Amino acid sequence: METKQEKPATPFKPPRLAASAALGTLNEIYYRDLANAKQQGRPVVWITSMTPIELVYAFDGIPFFPENYAALCSSRKVAEDLCKAGEARGYSQDLCAYALCTFGVMFEKRGAFGDEGPPAPDILLATQGACMTHPKWWEAMQRHYKCPMIIIDAAYTVDSDTLSPHHREYYASELKETVRLMEKYTNKKLGADKLREVVTFSDQASALWDEIDEMRAAVPTPISQIDVFTCLFALVTLKGTKEAVEFYKQLRDEVKMRVDNKVGFVPNEKFRLVWDMFPIYHNMRLLNYFAEFGAAFVTDLYGNAFSGRLNVADPYGSLADRYLSFFMRAASWGKAELYKKRIKKYHVDGIVFHSNRCCRCFTAEQPDIGNILRDELGLSSLMFEGNMVDPRGYDDTQVKAKIESFIEMLEARKYPKK
Amino acid sequence: MKHSEFAETYRNRHKLAEGWKKSGKKVFGYFCNYTPEEIIYAAGIIPVRIRGGSENIELADTHLPSICCSYMRSALDQALKGKYNYLDGAVFPKSCDMTRALYSIWKRNIKISYYWNLPIPGKSNDAAVDFYIGELRLFEESLEKYTGKKMGDDSLKQAIKLYNENRALVRELYNLSLRDDPPLSGSEMFEVLRAGLVIPKEEHNAMLRKLLPALSSAKGSQDGKVRLMIAGNTFETVELLQAIEESGANVVVDDVDIGSRYYFSSVNENEEPLRALSERYLRKVLCPCKHNAQHRVYHILKLAKDYQVQGVILLTQKYCDTHLYDRPWLESKLKEEGLPVLVVDHSDIGWVGGKFKTMVQAFVEMVG
Repeated sequence: METKQEKPATPFKPPRLAASAALGTLNEIYYRDLANAKQQGRPVVWITSMTPIELVYAFDGIPFFPENYAALCSSRKVAEDLCKAGEARGYSQDLCAYALCTFGVMFEKRGAFGDEGPPAPDILLATQGACMTHPKWWEAMQRHYKCPMIIIDAAYTVDSDTLSPHHREYYASELKETVRLMEKYTNKKLGADKLREVVTFSDQASALWDEIDEMRAAVPTPISQIDVFTCLFALVTLKGTKEAVEFYKQLRDEVKMRVDNKVGFVPNEKFRLVWDMFPIYHNMRLLNYFAEFGAAFVTDLYGNAFSGRLNVADPYGSLADRYLSFFMRAASWGKAELYKKRIKKYHVDGIVFHSNRCCRCFTAEQPDIGNILRDELGLSSLMFEGNMVDPRGYDDTQVKAKIESFIEMLEARKYPKK
Repeated sequence: MKHSEFAETYRNRHKLAEGWKKSGKKVFGYFCNYTPEEIIYAAGIIPVRIRGGSENIELADTHLPSICCSYMRSALDQALKGKYNYLDGAVFPKSCDMTRALYSIWKRNIKISYYWNLPIPGKSNDAAVDFYIGELRLFEESLEKYTGKKMGDDSLKQAIKLYNENRALVRELYNLSLRDDPPLSGSEMFEVLRAGLVIPKEEHNAMLRKLLPALSSAKGSQDGKVRLMIAGNTFETVELLQAIEESGANVVVDDVDIGSRYYFSSVNENEEPLRALSERYLRKVLCPCKHNAQHRVYHILKLAKDYQVQGVILLTQKYCDTHLYDRPWLESKLKEEGLPVLVVDHSDIGWVGGKFKTMVQAFVEMVG
């Protein structure tokens, strides 16, 4: 390639969102509430992503996401030690690093801030709907904490092509069984009004998230992928609360203002990209490296898996629809279809696959998704290996070299020299 | 009839299948112990297990990352090379994350006219059994549409009976290993079992009926060897069993997917067929992807006691998540019960015999 990409001497720093201050406050309040949960008589429910968090808030519980916490450990650079502690107990380094890091936290009673870590679970709640790691990981934690565990059966649907009405009915009956068990374990009755309120807040947060997601289609795109991953915290952990709705209203207004004023987060946006799947929490700044070449991530599907509209008139039915049909459950061609729509709508030039070495479930189909997008749309792709949580084995120099040649290729395709 | 004829059968499996095709039969490939083969058989189709091997990967890497298990990588590689061109259909039960993902990868890249994605619940309570009956009915209807023929309870009952006969014959074979001097070594047994995955059950039954009387009266070849059990998931490397035998031990029983986990539990013939199948597959096949480790601990301890096992090799296919999550606890529980345990990470691709043998020799010396 004849042209070497120009990049500024100092690393790129995106403009800060005003809403991130509000997010910081939400974060603080959440961790304070979590620490005080036992004193306040609120059950601490350890929960996996893609498990209906709405039920936890409906019981006035505090959900705790080990996945989210492992990400926090990773960004605070303590994940490697915690993963090693998990390995010392016989758990393989090949396992999901969210799980491995949590095993470290669990066995060593050591947290992200050099503290004792999160309060032990009163209830372990999981689903088989996303991956098989979730139930097996939860079983391992149940053997340690010896507390009640509820696993919602969603193992059966293989992809959204085969989702049929009796799958929804079975899932809805699993939700009702979950409620029955939660009532037993928490000694509280679920109020229909409370469930409706939580479902309404959850739906509103999702609607706002979708609105923000739509606005990313603007040229230039208003917010960074780091903003998206960071702001996802409220959708993952606080969905079903009023606070999450208020936060996303503020974020939506801020993003809208940027769009109305044509403010992009990258000056001179040259390329528009899609990020596939997990962030690299120990090296989030890698996303900014793309920006140094004028490349912006304008959409992703990962974040949207946490958003899902609900119908307050039919809480169980709509929860079943929502938690059985998020994009991760689609077959490769189903995922590619979703990307194809976005690639047109968001004016995308290329896709970046983070081949997450500890996650077979969501890396196995990545090559084929790339193949489909190449064959049908001629889309360029970059794939590199990493691990979302554990920094061991990650080669930053090599990854950056790959990014540079990918950008050169995009440059040659999009802005050919005469 | 000798065990070596079973090995020969397995080696020639692709040729045999091509022969059945020429005589007008349909052949379906399937993955995993959770496929209710009886239904495929009842539709007049020969079900064969899709297997991998130990050859280096040539074509699969552009479709599947190397962090996936060697079984799935190798099976895909062989299919891409055309070794499974004879298949009329392929069935993927939803058991682990790999069978889920490989369904779409196969369907997009391997030209087979019929694909079926079989949803399997993750529980085995009454609600799950009822739910699964519905799924089995859908599968049955789909096969009827494919063949253009109604299946009927009779053909399903006959298939169940045939499969149960096969399970009973294999059980007789295992019973021979209860003796102090088992007539078959673990590696010979493996060949007999593996052949049963890839030929029609009536043929396997006929072979077993010839083999059994000869073995029952035969003097044991494995007298005085250290009695071991192997527990884990699938593998193709028969050499690892031979290495155990060369180290002065013998595998007398197993808890692996093509051994006792596949052959031991039968289907209740006195019940409505789909209900009986649903119960058998959900409740009696104890794979970690559907069952808590507690169940397997009981199961392994019972087998170990029955077969007077002196040690257990926990052999796990590298990158097999569900087994890897259970293994540390399984190991500690078995040790608590006084059973010595050797933990081995296994990959059929790139298997290193010398390294394995060194580990096994040390283990055999310790327990012997």
